[in-house]
Amino acid sequence: MISRFQYFKPHNLSDAVQYLEKEDNSYVLAGGTDLMILLRRNLINAEHIVDIKAIPELSALEYSNSTGLTIGAGVVVNRLVDSEIVKTNYPALQQAAASLASFQLRNRATAVGNICNASPGADLPPSLLVYDALVNITGPHGDRQVPVDQFFTGVKRTVLQRGELVVSLQLPEPGEGDRSIYLRQTRLRGHDLATVGVASRIKPNGKVAIGICAVAPTPLRLFALEDKINERGLNKETIDWAGEEINAHIRPISDVRSSALYRLQMASVLLKRGLLNLIGEEE
Amino acid sequence: MDKDCSMYIEHVESGKRKVTLSLTVNDRLVVRDVDPQMTLLHFLRDELKLFGTKEACGEGECGACTVIMNGKAVTSCIILAIEAEGAQITTVEGLAKDGKLSILQEEFVSQDALQCGFCTPGFLMSTRALLDSNADPSDEEIIETLSGNLCRCTGYIPILNAVKRTIERERKELGR
Repeated sequence: MISRFQYFKPHNLSDAVQYLEKEDNSYVLAGGTDLMILLRRNLINAEHIVDIKAIPELSALEYSNSTGLTIGAGVVVNRLVDSEIVKTNYPALQQAAASLASFQLRNRATAVGNICNASPGADLPPSLLVYDALVNITGPHGDRQVPVDQFFTGVKRTVLQRGELVVSLQLPEPGEGDRSIYLRQTRLRGHDLATVGVASRIKPNGKVAIGICAVAPTPLRLFALEDKINERGLNKETIDWAGEEINAHIRPISDVRSSALYRLQMASVLLKRGLLNLIGEEE
Repeated sequence: MDKDCSMYIEHVESGKRKVTLSLTVNDRLVVRDVDPQMTLLHFLRDELKLFGTKEACGEGECGACTVIMNGKAVTSCIILAIEAEGAQITTVEGLAKDGKLSILQEEFVSQDALQCGFCTPGFLMSTRALLDSNADPSDEEIIETLSGNLCRCTGYIPILNAVKRTIERERKELGR
């Protein structure tokens, strides 16, 4: 490890923000499952590491009918997997959490870290996107709230400015009759990112929402495709049509995990499979 | 050295001011001044000379460095030693008592659940953490929990058998 860093473990948000704003090359440490690898591979030169695990409010995982689900920045992924509330109310999120990395990594990796790292193939964003999650951010100029579909700006890039820190994710209450599913194609379960991951949701009003990862520089919410599906009305015929149409809405690349063509085909398969499952139809 | 080289690389002191770390390892309180750059794995091996915990990939993928930290199986190669301040750590050295192997270890032996043995401490610690939180897991739960541990020798079936035999024996002999 080439990095020579100071380690700072603040006990409140304002100390964390002040430090992050003041010091150059400072990095937030939550679970460390991405950061430690960047450090080990010498891909970053960290001079300061700010460990946020001692800040009490960041460990909150709470649900209420008015505010929905709050996931603090210190909440590890296995807490989402094990949460009955998440399983019942946000099934796609629970499934995505359960598919993320391996058991040991899920004991450390945080949900908020998964979005802040901003990998195009990260598993949680498709589900967060279909649930219209809000990202609560604090920083030197106060607090702000960014919808998760506006949070990602590019590969490994987000809207976060110097000194800013994500405090929590907030997912509105889904409502009676809400359904969702996350399907993921991967080379090796437990040891690889998604080749393609698709979250599909049918809201209580019958409208669909679709989130997808690993097919563009950022995770995507496919609003335009949703509108077309909703116009046509959700049935088996529309779903078949949507399986073709989705390829006009994504821009996958060929890389070590897959060819672009395979990703296009898998996006089609996973979307159709997910929506058919949600309306209780056979493939 | 190649940045992707996966052989064990000893910790190199950063020259930064050391931080006092106090934690419990295998029921023993340990207080040391450590380099902030040092990983928990390096701390266990280089400082405490607990060589049971292994490094293979060094990136949390293979599970060879798995230890139990506050009841959870974690990969110690991607945790800073100072993150373990105040933590309860159990390593493979903490399993045997009074010179006698634990039931879990005995069953790994009886079922030929190891060959070269390099991955074994990691498998043992992942299994221990699972059985401590769930004394009667399903096959699916066992497989899911051990999915972060890689073994290139056994083909995994003997490991699954060893875990299932351990569950049986712990129920009978320890009343779990």
